[in-house]
Amino acid sequence: MLLAKTLRSSTFKLALIAIGTFGVIVSAIFGYVYLSTSAYIRSRSDRAIMAEYMDLRGVYEQSGREGLIALIRQRTADKAFAGHVYILYDPSSAVLAANLREWPPTATAPSGWTEFRAPGASPEGGGSPLVRGMINTFPSGDRLLVGQDISDLDRFAGEIKTAVISGVLLIFVLAGVASILVTRRTVGRIEQINATSRAIMASGLDKRIPLRGTHDEWDRVAENLNLMLDRIETLMGEVKQGSDNLAHDLRTPLTRMRGRLEKAYHGQGFDEDAQALIGDTIADLDAVLRIFTSITRIAQIETQVRKQAFRTVNLVEIAHEVVELYDAAAEQNGSCLTMVGNGEVLATGDRDLIFDAIANLVDNAIKHGRVGGKVVVASETVNGNPVISITDDGPGIPADQHEQVFKRFYRLEQSRYTPGNGLGLSLVAAVARLHGARIEMLDHSPGLQFKLWFAAPGN
Amino acid sequence: MTGGHRRILVVEDDPETAGQLVEQLATSGYEVDLATCGNEALSRGSAAEYAVITIDRMLPDIDGLAVMRRLRDDGIAAPFLIISALGEVDDRVRGLRAGGDDYLVKPFSFIELLARLEALGRRSDTVAKETILRVGDLAIDLIARTASRRGKDIDLLPKEFQLLEYLVRNEGRVVSRAMLLQHVWDLHFDPSTNIIDVYVGRLRRKVDDQQAYPLIHTIRGIGYCLRAPG
Repeated sequence: MLLAKTLRSSTFKLALIAIGTFGVIVSAIFGYVYLSTSAYIRSRSDRAIMAEYMDLRGVYEQSGREGLIALIRQRTADKAFAGHVYILYDPSSAVLAANLREWPPTATAPSGWTEFRAPGASPEGGGSPLVRGMINTFPSGDRLLVGQDISDLDRFAGEIKTAVISGVLLIFVLAGVASILVTRRTVGRIEQINATSRAIMASGLDKRIPLRGTHDEWDRVAENLNLMLDRIETLMGEVKQGSDNLAHDLRTPLTRMRGRLEKAYHGQGFDEDAQALIGDTIADLDAVLRIFTSITRIAQIETQVRKQAFRTVNLVEIAHEVVELYDAAAEQNGSCLTMVGNGEVLATGDRDLIFDAIANLVDNAIKHGRVGGKVVVASETVNGNPVISITDDGPGIPADQHEQVFKRFYRLEQSRYTPGNGLGLSLVAAVARLHGARIEMLDHSPGLQFKLWFAAPGN
Repeated sequence: MTGGHRRILVVEDDPETAGQLVEQLATSGYEVDLATCGNEALSRGSAAEYAVITIDRMLPDIDGLAVMRRLRDDGIAAPFLIISALGEVDDRVRGLRAGGDDYLVKPFSFIELLARLEALGRRSDTVAKETILRVGDLAIDLIARTASRRGKDIDLLPKEFQLLEYLVRNEGRVVSRAMLLQHVWDLHFDPSTNIIDVYVGRLRRKVDDQQAYPLIHTIRGIGYCLRAPG
């Protein structure tokens, strides 16, 4: 889990880019060192071979074939020339003088440089040493090959190559490990901050990011975030206190007002018209009060206090009760309200609030769905998560307004004149937040599907 | 019902609301005593026998719930109707858990209060032992969960039967929409739609259509009443 996050993190990607760039540069430097070293070694040995060849050619040109044969015999016997390779052939390919068994089959060119494996040419006698040599064909048709065992040089170059490659690999591995460790530390701290943020979103403002006491930049970030959370908590508390007081202080005069109106309504002192006016006023006052109650109710749900009263509830049962309650309303609208799913879909939550949320969604589906349409409420467990879905086949909600509809008092243009106050979905959103549930809105073409994904019970 | 059963103690600190309550309850035939603070409520509550005690949660001296608890501890059996300006559901639940019998949120309609007082006041004296309840030509069988008028069965859904049973048990009394939600659906909030009316409307069609007389009556501005003519 942490490893996956480490690999995905931007710090790690940056580190990879740095390692990549650094690696290319290091490889280039090491490659240059290797190439120039091996070129230098090769040119030294080439110069030595060339010098020897020039010697032998000089002897051939001065003393002829016999002189060269004598010189080659002398050289092959001389320990100081160990590692040197000589072959002199006459035009009929008969060996005139040599310390090689035969003319190397790969050296077919009449003159120039050649490289070959020469079995038995090594003074130590082991293996088939690599020989580099110079070939020349004299005008007489005699062919001369002068060479040197360059196995040691080859081995040396090979060792440099191995050293360079393992050096580069080691650098890559060390850099990789270092960047994983650094990234892990960073990701670990960020993950702590993220976990706290999630806990705050899920259960309220009482959580704080733990400090390590190292006074490093991470601790400073955490401290500042914690201070910010303290401030938000204080402000939220003040707002709640304020709205509680407001709610209470408003209720007393409203109670008196309603009492007076009711007294007037039931009294004898007014004619019918005045009484109708009073009746309408009472109805409007009640409508205002309902909005007021809805707002304080949403605000109260958002304080998360009700989480304390959570218990295990059966979503199928609650959905069934809602369907039962709204059955008559659907019938009146000519639409068909059905429930899919039975048995138990258990979730942790507040039965009344879940009922209210589902009721709001079903109410919307009936009101804003197609007249004579179908509304389906379904509840099931998907991958361990309890889900409730409400589907209608009405005009749906334009995709660009999916987020907006959860705002308080938001109403779609098309439903401006249907009854409602634009608070229903805000309440659904508040209930979902309280339960840590995810709301999903899907285009059901035609129609709209709301899905409430609850957390797996016991989590 | 005897005089003692129509006696109500109102505990309310706001003078105007208290005045309105006393006046309207008196007009409705109740004998009303008023207590304007917790201490007065304690002394009055234990001095006389009341059919119902209505109590405001926010009192100047002692919290309404504490008053209620103390009176209960003193052996006062009268049902309590809590009236509160704290409207939220958990306040409601807390109030009921502390021993309240019913809960009403300010501002309330007086008929709603009256309906609840009636229901509370009679709750103690109707102990139904019969398994078949009758109102006019309607009979409901509480065991078989069936209903019939003039012997003809009425086809009811389980919730419709519960609703009818509640109306029958409160025969002749006004029951509010909120009371129906509370007792039939166990919902302690107002879904703020006309959902109850629609539901009762369907029940009424099943019960009253093509009958000699209607049983379920709409009471404007409050709710319903089930009664037989005469």
